[in-house]
Amino acid sequence: MISGTILVEIILCIFVVFGIGTILGPLSKKAAYSLGIVGSLLGVLLSLLVLVKGEAVSIFLWRVTAASSAQLVISPFSSYFLLISSLVWLGTCLYSVRYDDDYPNTLSSLLLLTILSMVLILVSGDAITFLVGWESMTIASFFMILEGKGNSEGVRSAAFLFLAFGEGSSVFIMLAFSGFYSSVGSFNFLSTSGIIGPLGSWIFITSLIGFGLKMGIAPFHINEWLPIAHSSAPSNASALLSATLTLMGVYGLINTVSHLAQYELWWGWLTLAIGGISALLGALFSSVSEHSKGLPAYSTIENNGMIVIAIGAYLLASYYHLALLADFAMIAALFHAFSHSISKASLFLFNGWISKVKRSFDLNSPNIISGKGIGLARLAGIFTVLSLAAAPPLAGYVSEWMILEVLFQSFRYGDLTSQIVGTLVGAVIALAAGIVIVAMTKVYGFGFLWSTKVETQKESGEVYGGKALSGSLVYLFALIIGIGVGAPGVFFFASNAASHLLQTDAFSTFVTGLLGVPAYFVILSGIPFGGFSPTFTAVFMLGLLSVPVLIARLGGTLSIRRTHGWFAGNDQPAHSYELYNSFGYSTPIRIMLRFLLRTKESVVHRGVLNNTVVLAPEEYVVELEVLDAFKRFYDLLAKWTIWLSTYVSKKVMPGRLGLYLVYIMIAFTFVLLYILFTVA
Amino acid sequence: MIHKYVERRQVQEVGGPIQLSSIFRAGGHSYALLTDTAANKTILSEVPARLGKEFELLLKGGQAPPGAPIDLDPGSKVEGYGLFTFRYGPVTYGVPEAGGFKLVTYGERIIKVIPQVNFKKRLVENKVIGWKPEDALLLVERSAGNFSASYSTCFVTAVEEALNLDVPSQAKWTRAVAIELERIYNHLYVFGRLAEAASQNVATAQINALRERVLRLNGKYFGHRYLFGFNTIGGVRLDISKEDGREILDSIRTLIREFSDLVEYFLSSRIFLDRLQGTARLPKQDALNLGAVGPCARGSGVEWDDRLTYPIEPYGDIYINIETDNGEDTMARTMVRIREIQSSVVVLRELLDKMPHDGPRLEPSSEYSPISSNDPADFSFCRIESPSGDLIHVVQLDEQGRIANLQVRPASLVNWIPFAKSLENNVFTDFQFAFESFGLSYADSDR
Amino acid sequence: MPKIWVLRGIKKGILTNEFPKKKPTAEEIPGRAVPPVATTNSDWVSGEKVCPTGAIQSAPERRIDMGKCIYCQRCAGSGFDFDVSNKGRVKALQANVNDNNAAEVVAKRLRIFKRSFHILMIDVGSCNACNLEVLNLSNPYYDLTRFGIFFTNSPKHADALIVVGALNRAMVDVLKRTYESMPEPKLVISAGACAISGGIFRGTESFVSPIQDVLPVDVVIPGCPPTPIQILEGLLLAVGKIDKEAVLH
Repeated sequence: MISGTILVEIILCIFVVFGIGTILGPLSKKAAYSLGIVGSLLGVLLSLLVLVKGEAVSIFLWRVTAASSAQLVISPFSSYFLLISSLVWLGTCLYSVRYDDDYPNTLSSLLLLTILSMVLILVSGDAITFLVGWESMTIASFFMILEGKGNSEGVRSAAFLFLAFGEGSSVFIMLAFSGFYSSVGSFNFLSTSGIIGPLGSWIFITSLIGFGLKMGIAPFHINEWLPIAHSSAPSNASALLSATLTLMGVYGLINTVSHLAQYELWWGWLTLAIGGISALLGALFSSVSEHSKGLPAYSTIENNGMIVIAIGAYLLASYYHLALLADFAMIAALFHAFSHSISKASLFLFNGWISKVKRSFDLNSPNIISGKGIGLARLAGIFTVLSLAAAPPLAGYVSEWMILEVLFQSFRYGDLTSQIVGTLVGAVIALAAGIVIVAMTKVYGFGFLWSTKVETQKESGEVYGGKALSGSLVYLFALIIGIGVGAPGVFFFASNAASHLLQTDAFSTFVTGLLGVPAYFVILSGIPFGGFSPTFTAVFMLGLLSVPVLIARLGGTLSIRRTHGWFAGNDQPAHSYELYNSFGYSTPIRIMLRFLLRTKESVVHRGVLNNTVVLAPEEYVVELEVLDAFKRFYDLLAKWTIWLSTYVSKKVMPGRLGLYLVYIMIAFTFVLLYILFTVA
Repeated sequence: MIHKYVERRQVQEVGGPIQLSSIFRAGGHSYALLTDTAANKTILSEVPARLGKEFELLLKGGQAPPGAPIDLDPGSKVEGYGLFTFRYGPVTYGVPEAGGFKLVTYGERIIKVIPQVNFKKRLVENKVIGWKPEDALLLVERSAGNFSASYSTCFVTAVEEALNLDVPSQAKWTRAVAIELERIYNHLYVFGRLAEAASQNVATAQINALRERVLRLNGKYFGHRYLFGFNTIGGVRLDISKEDGREILDSIRTLIREFSDLVEYFLSSRIFLDRLQGTARLPKQDALNLGAVGPCARGSGVEWDDRLTYPIEPYGDIYINIETDNGEDTMARTMVRIREIQSSVVVLRELLDKMPHDGPRLEPSSEYSPISSNDPADFSFCRIESPSGDLIHVVQLDEQGRIANLQVRPASLVNWIPFAKSLENNVFTDFQFAFESFGLSYADSDR
Repeated sequence: MPKIWVLRGIKKGILTNEFPKKKPTAEEIPGRAVPPVATTNSDWVSGEKVCPTGAIQSAPERRIDMGKCIYCQRCAGSGFDFDVSNKGRVKALQANVNDNNAAEVVAKRLRIFKRSFHILMIDVGSCNACNLEVLNLSNPYYDLTRFGIFFTNSPKHADALIVVGALNRAMVDVLKRTYESMPEPKLVISAGACAISGGIFRGTESFVSPIQDVLPVDVVIPGCPPTPIQILEGLLLAVGKIDKEAVLH
């Protein structure tokens, strides 16, 4: 019997370990990251214990007001997210131990500080602790982004944009919490549930905006990709930002939603719509992105959109009292959070390794990695990309299947409008899922496989310790396969985590045996609707694929002759400008969807060449540009804000004593009049 | 040498309606053959002083030795992010011959086209020096198989002019009949390839069936499906009798009636028209500046046909209508070819009805002696309107009547750069249509 | 009446010939005897000076190498009974010629391609007439696909390579690369006099060698250009759909 004290001790150990790591960071990177590894392992242990046991433990810190106290609460729900985050942190620290030598030591301590604040968010039991953790996470990440490479102006503007959006999210979260406070009267609502209050819509909208700002769903999505892409943040930081920071947003959103007892109908529609738009926008822009960090960042927007869609379906299904559908939708959201975080972290680390060797973040620069030891890394890369593109039987496939099944069952909603909204959103994310395949083949095919003879031979082609890299990537890719094939296990964890939200015993309802597949290996999506067994599919695929190989090898007919690629009769291209590149791969999308992407093809510069034939005496530079319309909007907003503050500082508050005296006079007059009219 | 239909004067500058058609060397001098496209006249002059380096390309592509491909670069320099050179090489579906392209692009959009020629260079012109004209004829007519009648006619007319032979009219009229038949089957080939590129399978099959009938007609009356070997110095080897002529005419008439029916179907197929309209524009000014010839120039409004510019017998005695179209795009070039097929029937009718029957050829004599001339710069030439455009052969014979100098300016050679310019800023899918509508042939330009 | 292509196609009827059940007609193998041409070129070698490519050999026995013959008919009337009318092939056989007359399998045929045969045509320097004749196989009169033969665009999908044209120096590497990119088992078919022996271009500076010196050729199809029926006969021989004797009688 595991007692609560052990869990408390483990939690304190985690804090201590990460704290020491933060302090040790400026002295020794490797020590800091090793401590990070230890801390992540402790986090995994803690979350597994709590999830299996299924009970919450709380630690009382101190009293804040008469009704509230500062608390640390470790519930199954937060430990589910702690499990995901710890697994990601483990991979990141493993990678950083070996590969973070380009950046200063302070990066390591900032990284650990961010991790520490995320742990605080996850175990906080009251609003104040939550906000403390949230703010420190934002500020630590801000400094982390400032360490990025690239031109300093881009880095700084990206970091400040992140900070602005982060503070904006804090503001909205504070507004949401103030709504809770006035409903409940205490700050400890994060550990209670079933709050009924008249401020339901206010709380929902402000928390949707607040956590949405962090998650990067439309129309706040530039918060997600811009800091990562334009600041060229270090890859371990990017993994942290994209995978776990956004996870905090998901945690916060589901948490606040779960504390509201009654949902309105339009909440579900709004959430579905926002999620659908984010998914489509994210998929589109990731498929036309040429930045090896920007592309996964946009993909995070798409995946967060899908999580938000699942949450919206949960809201709608709860409104219509469809218990099974609501439960399945909530578990789908949690599952997708898990699979996305792991896959995305793996992709960022993989891309980070490639960019380090290439010394460029551009997908259009050829790869120079060669040599021994990259076999496992290659395998890890392809499985990561397959998982994000939702190929069975991997993790990404299972979670996307679940979300699509939820939307397929939109016919169960009681209202025609809801049915239509659900079906349309389903169509939209099916389209997004198709476009994501373009993006994922791009990032692996062109980012990793694309190289030419000349360029590979020019560089020394050194490999950054293939084996050790394979260590951290192999761990993550084993996880991806494990989550996919062992999906019932994750289902178990998720249903334990969300048991306070679910109306049925989800695990035993949805995970059964069917059609000859033994029990606990089939996941049903509705009773009756559909089902899928990832384990069985994996076994089947492996068996089917190995049969021809076995026959060929045993029968002795396998003969392999290697030859070159076919370039219409020409020799293999020697330079990368003769090869079909990543930009060309997605230009058909840019041109066909030019309305959505605001594509502009132009001739930038025209000149006259001197000694050429008279026929075409020109030299010109052509450009194809794709524009995120939202960025233009935010640029405009920033411009107006700057104008307004300049105006105020120059005209309204110029520092002239006489003007201030006039203001005092006016304020005094108003106060006088107010008192006169209220008292009298 | 007296060249009929040619104006000898000195032209200082090339421009406007005056196009430079060819530059050749004879007796140590360089001469230029120019064409006044407005007045439909041929002008012979010394090489104009103010000649841009335009024809450097022509000469470079035309005279290069065999062995390695040559890039006919239009000369512009393009830079930009994401640009790469896509090699649409020698072995591919869209280009059925040995020749390629380099497309500079950043994806769907074609920014620049660089044709790669010289894969098939056989330099027939150098090989035949010192040969007798009848033997050189074998090489000349096999240098471009689907323009064989035009090549052989052009060559023998030039040689006969050098030898001052009085060839019977029947031979000349028979040659014109052969050229018209060749024009019909070549334009049908282009049309069939366009239909195939647009995936109109029934149309492709029916047009190819019509073309097969023309080829069988060639084989039956001229002895070879591609009209090899019907020409000889001093006449033609076959006697097309009146009955033969009537049969040819009836068959062609039936064929063209079916073809016109097909054209009606084609003009009502929106999908097909949509692929052709607006793609690969070649403005008239560009066509003139770059020296485009043939149906692609006529599709841009340039009114020039060699049958009127250099009216050797029988073209001077029959009515020829120049078919032009002002559309400048692929649709216009296709319409020009369609109308040329239909007016070929009219021309054939005139040729076969009015053909004089005074014997197919001169009796072969063992030696022909050329007109003795002390001027080393004397040369003879001929221009023929081949199905792909204006073809020029320049011939010089030595005292024994053997070939001393042969220069061929094929039609496709001058059309590469107009093709490259017209394709700029189109998308990949337009490439096939533009290529087929220009009717370019590597065998032709590489001879 | 709306213009529907399918109806028009049905209305047209069947144009396809019945080869190989029926022998080819005069229209399909055209020929018309022409009077001889007077002079010859003393540069042309190999026995009889009438032949520009040296296909005719009169000692030690009268033979005509059809792989070199370009059908120029200059030998007509010089004692060879060589008549290129539609019975020309058979006639030449009766004059004791080498049986490289019609298409011939010189190395191997692969019967596994009997029902599905994908060919890639490569032009290594032809005058374009052979190209057109090969492409003519897909018109309704010959209809290649009823035999299970298809054209492909990539050597990686091809079972056989049809080479046309006199091998030009610029295309040697291309030809070798194409051959190497084809998967086993594969066939090489030489079509046309230029591919088999260089034809009339044998002495030019751009000509490298006959194709069989560069690749292992399995089937040769003589002609200049070979008519579609002759090419079809060669293809069917290559996959074993017809045997040689069936064609000759």
